[in-house]
Amino acid sequence: MTALLLTESFAERGARERARALLDAQSFRELIGPFERIASPYLAAQGVVPQSDDGTVVARGTIGGVRACVVATDGRFLGGSIGEIGGSKIAGALELARRDAERGTPTRMVLALDTGGIRLQEANLGILAVSEICDAIVALRDLMPVVAVIAGRVGVYGGLSLSTALCSEIIVSEGARVGLNGPDVVETESGIEEMDSSDRPLIWRVTGGRQRFAQGFASELVSDDVPAIRAAVERAFEAPRELGPLVAQPFPDPRLDLEAFLRAMEIEP
Amino acid sequence: MSASVRGRVWLERLTGGARPIGGLPPSVLAADASIDGHAVRAIAVVPDLNGRFARARNGEMGIDEGFGVAAAVRGTPADSAILAIVDVPGQAFGTREEAVGLQRALAASTAAYIRARRGGHPVLTLVVGKAISGAFLAHGLQGGWIGALDVGDIEIHVMSEAAVARVTRMERDDLIRVAKEIPATARDIRTFATFGAIDRIFSVGDPDAPSDAEVNEVVRALAEVLRTPELGRRNPVDRLNAPAALQTRTLARRVRSALQAQWDA
Amino acid sequence: MIETLTYEFPATQSVEHRSHVGVVASGNCEILLEPSSDQRSAVVVRTSVSGFDGTWQAVLGRFFARNPVAVAIEINDFGATPAVVALRLEQALESAQ
Repeated sequence: MTALLLTESFAERGARERARALLDAQSFRELIGPFERIASPYLAAQGVVPQSDDGTVVARGTIGGVRACVVATDGRFLGGSIGEIGGSKIAGALELARRDAERGTPTRMVLALDTGGIRLQEANLGILAVSEICDAIVALRDLMPVVAVIAGRVGVYGGLSLSTALCSEIIVSEGARVGLNGPDVVETESGIEEMDSSDRPLIWRVTGGRQRFAQGFASELVSDDVPAIRAAVERAFEAPRELGPLVAQPFPDPRLDLEAFLRAMEIEP
Repeated sequence: MSASVRGRVWLERLTGGARPIGGLPPSVLAADASIDGHAVRAIAVVPDLNGRFARARNGEMGIDEGFGVAAAVRGTPADSAILAIVDVPGQAFGTREEAVGLQRALAASTAAYIRARRGGHPVLTLVVGKAISGAFLAHGLQGGWIGALDVGDIEIHVMSEAAVARVTRMERDDLIRVAKEIPATARDIRTFATFGAIDRIFSVGDPDAPSDAEVNEVVRALAEVLRTPELGRRNPVDRLNAPAALQTRTLARRVRSALQAQWDA
Repeated sequence: MIETLTYEFPATQSVEHRSHVGVVASGNCEILLEPSSDQRSAVVVRTSVSGFDGTWQAVLGRFFARNPVAVAIEINDFGATPAVVALRLEQALESAQ
């Protein structure tokens, strides 16, 4: 019985199995797979064993019968961090999807991200890759929906949270977290009185999927269930909601009563 | 930490003291000026010791700065180029910011720069101080042309050294040693330039009080770029073909060509 | 910091496909297994935990004594226990057959 339930969990799966789960049955085809061994050359000198796919899986297939590409990062390898190779896989796939859209043969693009952000062990290359990812997302969403799925154990933090916020459709699970700075980074930079990274209720209140959905950051809130996530992805392409306010948000945001907002979250304004 | 004056100084010098445009938070300075006959909107993020978010008072990119820069960029006159002046010590590290959704604020300015550049505005960036992490992504790194001052305290990275040490569980000495071995982890502008993202480096004595000659050199360089607007419209991916990147970003190109070859079965 | 270990074992059987299992995560390892045309198996282990040469020899020896398959195996290890390594090897073999 437990095994049966586990097979339907999205978060329990690795990146490759997540990509497979989002694509139509039997349509999964991996690009630059692990046997091509394009692995990070920067890690060994920093005491980290590299992974043969650099923790990022690119797969082609179909979604709802339409050409598709899923890029999934693996939160288990170095926190799903994005370095030169993983970042280039994401940016490169988005660039090809844009090319396809311009040619009138659209490829549905899904980013299934589970990442703590830019990989510190190759920081400069990671930040450049993320700038390319941001540009490619905006370029593609001008032509068609760009769908993000945030339903992993790490969630999305750092530069990739910024990139994700640029997507036109964002699906979050109740168990996912989204923030720019991870709790321990805030604690290190600003002190424990600013954020106690061991205060789990606070972190969930602030960064949990339910909260992000309530804020309008995400277009859908889903449970950790593969069929539910697949259905949400299909809806995102069939009836896109276009998270528009982000790009055209007025300043100062007249809707935000900061003090009331923070008090509601049990945070001292 | 004393608040840096550098962003304000360079904005004022490069715009000839033009009056800042209104409607922005005090931490976002923007002014319209003419450089060699080309209309330019200069934008800088500066310290505001009275800002409503405590963790964004020293020039960090926070909620108001992200949305503020986005508003300044979106309001750029049709025929004007954009100049991002960068001295950002990082994004705001605060619980309140995270609660409101800091990733959206920084995405707002990032998207504004991207849309402006792809919409035809040349976007130029001048790094005059720190350019750390999400703050640089959101203010400067989307520029089609990037120049930087050659001063020791300019720092480009994704995280402060202390935070890097904590996350990687490495000692500071080890981090310094690794940075020499692996340029991708370095923090200085000259190493960053080897990856092809920096088009020009300017020498300057005191970056907080540049001489007229030093400012004029930057103005001349900006004017030259503005005469060739395509330079300011280059997309980030174009940096892969910069001369400096040919030796250093081979993997990024290899991944793309492999993806392209395998894209359609 | 990183130790690279190599091993060889005699082999008499063959496998059909290559296979890939696991992940380089704490207490886990990634295994890439490919059929080999030699009458032996070659194993390369890259690990961030040094000083366990003998343990690797024993775990791999037990596996190849039971399954004398001609394969090239690459293991990228992040402190997997012998039990986890043995499990991953069985999984890799199973999906290669």
